[in-house]
Amino acid sequence: MSISVLILTPPYSSQGSYSAYRFVKAAVASGQAVRRVFFYQDAVHAATKLACPPQDEFDLYTAWQQLKHDADLDLVVCIAAAARRGLINESESKRHNKSGANMASDFEISGLGQLVEACALSDRIITFGA
Amino acid sequence: MSILIVQHSPPYGNSNAKEALDIALAAGTFEQEVHILFMGDACYQLAENQNPHMLGQKSIPKMLTALPIYGIEEVLIDRASLDERSINTLCKDVKVKVLSSDEVKAAYRNAKTVLRF
Repeated sequence: MSISVLILTPPYSSQGSYSAYRFVKAAVASGQAVRRVFFYQDAVHAATKLACPPQDEFDLYTAWQQLKHDADLDLVVCIAAAARRGLINESESKRHNKSGANMASDFEISGLGQLVEACALSDRIITFGA
Repeated sequence: MSILIVQHSPPYGNSNAKEALDIALAAGTFEQEVHILFMGDACYQLAENQNPHMLGQKSIPKMLTALPIYGIEEVLIDRASLDERSINTLCKDVKVKVLSSDEVKAAYRNAKTVLRF
C-alpha cells in the first residue's frame, strides 16, 4: 500500500506540521512507502531556509530536510500557495524580479497537479490540518 | 476513483474556500472525477447577493460559475446545513444538487479520496 501526506497547517504555531513529520517518520521506519508529502496553504512555511528556532526547541525545518535525505522523500510545496505567502526559490525569485529567495533546496516547488497525481496514485491520502 | 472536496469554511475570512476550490480546478484540469460538497458554514459560499469587493476579495460564486469548464457540472450541498442556517435561496448561477444526510454519507463512501477544508 502506498500513502501520501497532505499538510495544511503551519510549522511552530500549529501542531499539525509536527504531527505530520512524526507520522511520516514512523511510516518510513515501519517500511511503509510514502509516495509524496505535499505542503499546501500555511504548511508551505515549513520550507523556509531562514527560520532560526531557539536551540532548546525542536527544529522542524531542519528535521524535514534530514528526513528527506534519510528516506529519499518527495517533499513538494505548492507554488501558488507559496508565492502568495512570500516563499520562493531562486528561479521564482528571478521570475518575479525579487531581491532574494528563502526556500530550502530540499523542497520541490510545483503545482496542484502533483497533489492530484498523489490522490490518483496513492492508496491513502492522510491530511494534517483543516 | 474520485476525489471529494468537502468545503466546510465560510467564503471569506480565511483562504480555505479559495484554496479548496483551486484543488478542484486542478483535478478537473487533469480530467479526474471530482465532486465538491458544501457543508456547515460553507453553505454561505453559495449565498445570493455577495459583495466581496468590500473586503478586497474576489467573488467565490463567480469562481464557482467556471466549474463546468473544468468538467464539474454541479456542486453538492448538505440539506441539513441549509436548514440549520435558514438559507432558502442560493446563487442561481451555480448548478447545485441538494443532498439528504444519507446522500452525503454515500458521497463520502463513493469517494476514493476526501479532502476537507
